[in-house]
Amino acid sequence: MAVGNESELAEEIERLRAELATRERESADRQQQLERYAADLRETFKEERARRDELRQSYMATVRALSNAVEARDAYTSKHAERVTAYALEIARALGTQLAGVEEIEFAFLLHDVGKVAIPDAILYKPGPLTDNERSLMEQHPLIGVEIVRGIEFLGPAAEVVRSHHERWDGQGYPDGLAGEEIPIAARVFAAADVLDALTTERPYRPASPLGVAREIIVKESGGQFDPQVVEAFQTIPDETFERIAAAVR
Amino acid sequence: MTRAVLVVDDDPFVRKLIATTLEDVAEFELHEAADGVEALEVARREHPSLVFLDVDMPRIDGIEACRSLRSEDATGDPTIVMLTAAHGDSVERQAEEAGADLFLTKPFSPLELLRLVDRLDEKSS
Repeated sequence: MAVGNESELAEEIERLRAELATRERESADRQQQLERYAADLRETFKEERARRDELRQSYMATVRALSNAVEARDAYTSKHAERVTAYALEIARALGTQLAGVEEIEFAFLLHDVGKVAIPDAILYKPGPLTDNERSLMEQHPLIGVEIVRGIEFLGPAAEVVRSHHERWDGQGYPDGLAGEEIPIAARVFAAADVLDALTTERPYRPASPLGVAREIIVKESGGQFDPQVVEAFQTIPDETFERIAAAVR
Repeated sequence: MTRAVLVVDDDPFVRKLIATTLEDVAEFELHEAADGVEALEVARREHPSLVFLDVDMPRIDGIEACRSLRSEDATGDPTIVMLTAAHGDSVERQAEEAGADLFLTKPFSPLELLRLVDRLDEKSS
């Protein structure tokens, strides 16, 4: 009897050993299968990412082409859009909002004046002051711009900048006469950058102002033309940063 | 720039899975450690910019290791991602106090893992 029990026990142990070995093999196989999943997921992710980067570059090239088309008409504002975009991105970063991280914000800045394609040369380049009629036509350019970019989904919040970049903090701007925080933050940031570039580049009727003078003018307009917080952020950016951009984009 | 990434978990399969998921997704060198003591040793040597840290580990656990990683200069100043079990609110609080930056709940989503590393990589480049 005892002998029978012993051999039964040995058999049982053997059976369990075999089962354990099978389980271990299965477990190893499953782990390997899981690793395959992980590896395939990784490769899919990389392909997706490459496509996304490609798409982003195409968008950027398209937006630049459109922006260049606007600027090609005017030798004086040449590279203005590119420079002002770089300035505005610096201010957005200094402001510490999420703005600088929004991908489309660069598109928005580059395209701010796209509506000017519809303004006749005689008005756009008139050396003297504009008549009332001419000015009201000129002040249509943000609205025309919005019409142009409307429906281009990848531009995201760009339309806001196109529409509101001539608004003023004190409500005296155009086309909607928005005031304070009614003006989208991207447009408020952009307005300061736009004036900075206008002041520090030469025009047919006046020379370029030094950076220090431009700063004084912008600071004086804090709470007037510009959002005080934007001006504050602008003031934290050292001269060298703006000088570096101006030297690189000319 | 090649950076060091450190994966700390006492389960070798979890380490393998993370390594497989992240392999050549960004430019980095992957290092592994099986517990907190080993993690600190590797961190002192490799100055990782990113550490995945399991909470439940023998010898020094993840919370303790996290605190040491933060307090020691020699370990660099890595982004620390805690690997926590689900429903671990109090653990997350402890980890946050110990200086953890982010959390991944186990079983972690591999896609979340990939996106996280991609995001950190974009930020640093």
